[in-house]
Amino acid sequence: MAKSKISMAQEFAKGLWKENPILRMVLGTCPTLAVTTSAINGVSMGLAVIFTLVMSSLIISLLRKIIPNEVRIATFIVVIATFVTVADRTIAAYYPEISKSLGPFIPLIVVNCIVLARQEAFASKNPVGRSVIDALGMSVGFTLVLLVMGSFRELMGNGTVFAHQIMPLSFQPWMAIALQPGAFLTLGFMIGLSNWIIAKGKRV
Amino acid sequence: MNLILIFISAAIINNYVLVSFLGICPFIGVSKKLGSAVSMGMATTFVMTITAAVAWLLNKYILIGLHLEFLQIVSFILVIASLVQLVEMFIKKVSRPLYDALGIFLPLITTNCAILGLALFLVMKQYNFIESIVFGFASGVGFTLALVIMAGIREELELADVPAPFRGAPITLIVAGCLALAFMGFSGLI
Amino acid sequence: MNKSLRLVLVLTLTAVLSGVILAVLNMYTAPRIELNANKTLSEAIGYVLPGNQKCDVKVVDDVTFYIGKDAQGKIVGVAFVAEGDGFQSRLKILVGMDPAMTKIIKIKVLSQAETPGLGTKIESDPTNKTDALWFHKQFFDLSASNPITVVKGKTADKSQAQIQAITGATISSKAVTDIINAAIAKNRTLYLNKAK
Repeated sequence: MAKSKISMAQEFAKGLWKENPILRMVLGTCPTLAVTTSAINGVSMGLAVIFTLVMSSLIISLLRKIIPNEVRIATFIVVIATFVTVADRTIAAYYPEISKSLGPFIPLIVVNCIVLARQEAFASKNPVGRSVIDALGMSVGFTLVLLVMGSFRELMGNGTVFAHQIMPLSFQPWMAIALQPGAFLTLGFMIGLSNWIIAKGKRV
Repeated sequence: MNLILIFISAAIINNYVLVSFLGICPFIGVSKKLGSAVSMGMATTFVMTITAAVAWLLNKYILIGLHLEFLQIVSFILVIASLVQLVEMFIKKVSRPLYDALGIFLPLITTNCAILGLALFLVMKQYNFIESIVFGFASGVGFTLALVIMAGIREELELADVPAPFRGAPITLIVAGCLALAFMGFSGLI
Repeated sequence: MNKSLRLVLVLTLTAVLSGVILAVLNMYTAPRIELNANKTLSEAIGYVLPGNQKCDVKVVDDVTFYIGKDAQGKIVGVAFVAEGDGFQSRLKILVGMDPAMTKIIKIKVLSQAETPGLGTKIESDPTNKTDALWFHKQFFDLSASNPITVVKGKTADKSQAQIQAITGATISSKAVTDIINAAIAKNRTLYLNKAK
């Protein structure tokens, strides 16, 4: 991907829908499936990814002219891993409950395809301002999907959203949705649905 | 007895892909054809077993020994990247046919959560050295199992009439959901 | 600048910078993380030893005993951490016993990473609408003169020191029981002989 020429607003917005990393590019599926057992878990992961992606894109874009091509992946990885560690340790220190729920999936942001892909495809080739906006759009788009999925699975599997009882108490929770099968099915249907919406848009 | 339990756990009951949610990217990406699924599975199992041993040693003697636990993420990923590079060069030198079969999958292995997840998991579960190696191998077997089953299904799916919006990733995920449901049956096994 | 030199320089600088940033981060976060862990433990001790106002810590043969005392200084109970392998993770359970170590007062699962939805029921079972904490409450007021046993399928007889296994999580249930039994057997001798 060469230097980007679209407007800043479009640069941000593309990550939200048209080039949404999960729904359209099917990247970052591991954490999406694993942490969307509840709305708060989904959002926490999303925030951690926003932090990591924006900071990494910032630094890598700043250094893009200095990093030699041969060692670029290695350098990207070290930068990303540093910020992931910052996010991981900060959450463990100030939000221990969330740290326990998210388990090893925060450190796994290092190999989250979204982060590395954006560095390789965008931040290493575009100026700082643009790279940060791109990072923001992508990671916010990611967070929105996590929010929707997490809320849905929490609602159906437990009757609550963000731990507030929404469903009537007589509601029999659909356990399977909060467990593994539910994750796969929900994401599969979400991607299928977004494909259908986009296809419809093109036909009109 | 404990080692057998660890093996069955990682391979079947807590299947690496369908239950622990690791290695999803290659699971969706490389499961179209049975042949490539088997190759990817074998390559990953090989790397996982070695990584388990190296990660355990690194963690015990360097990270914990020198009180550098906060460098865990950075050091693990660097070690994994280098290890995969070395494995690729080694296979290329030792067996050209093996390299032609597996080689292209190896770079794909570095940047997916399957390997790093393995290292982080075995530290979390506090396994000892032998247990870690068994866990690494078993995870590879579980990963291969899931991949091969999915590839078999997808080859059949090619002939089915899947609605356009669902072709590719969505239908794969939905099939995975059914597989996960089936695998849940194993959890009452013991 | 010479190509190879630049390669090495950039990589080394990045690595060094990363190390420095993380070392500073560690300085700030490590104490807090330890604080969180301690807080969990002290809350758990308050839970398993009701009436505890002040806690003495005694270490005997690398087993840490938390001796709970009330406001008058009388011993209300003794707590210790029972640890062992669960089904797929290390289990840490805090066991609170009476001063003579014949009976379990309460237990609390400190940490576990068992199968979500099944093994995790040892800590909290949201599918049980009457009481989500039913599993570990079975251990409350349980006589510990004989080893506790696990029953599947039929109702557990508390007077016979039996507890009911979680359906579909027999190994996790047995693990909790075995770990507690082993810890009680080992620590009873230690405490009664040496800690006094």
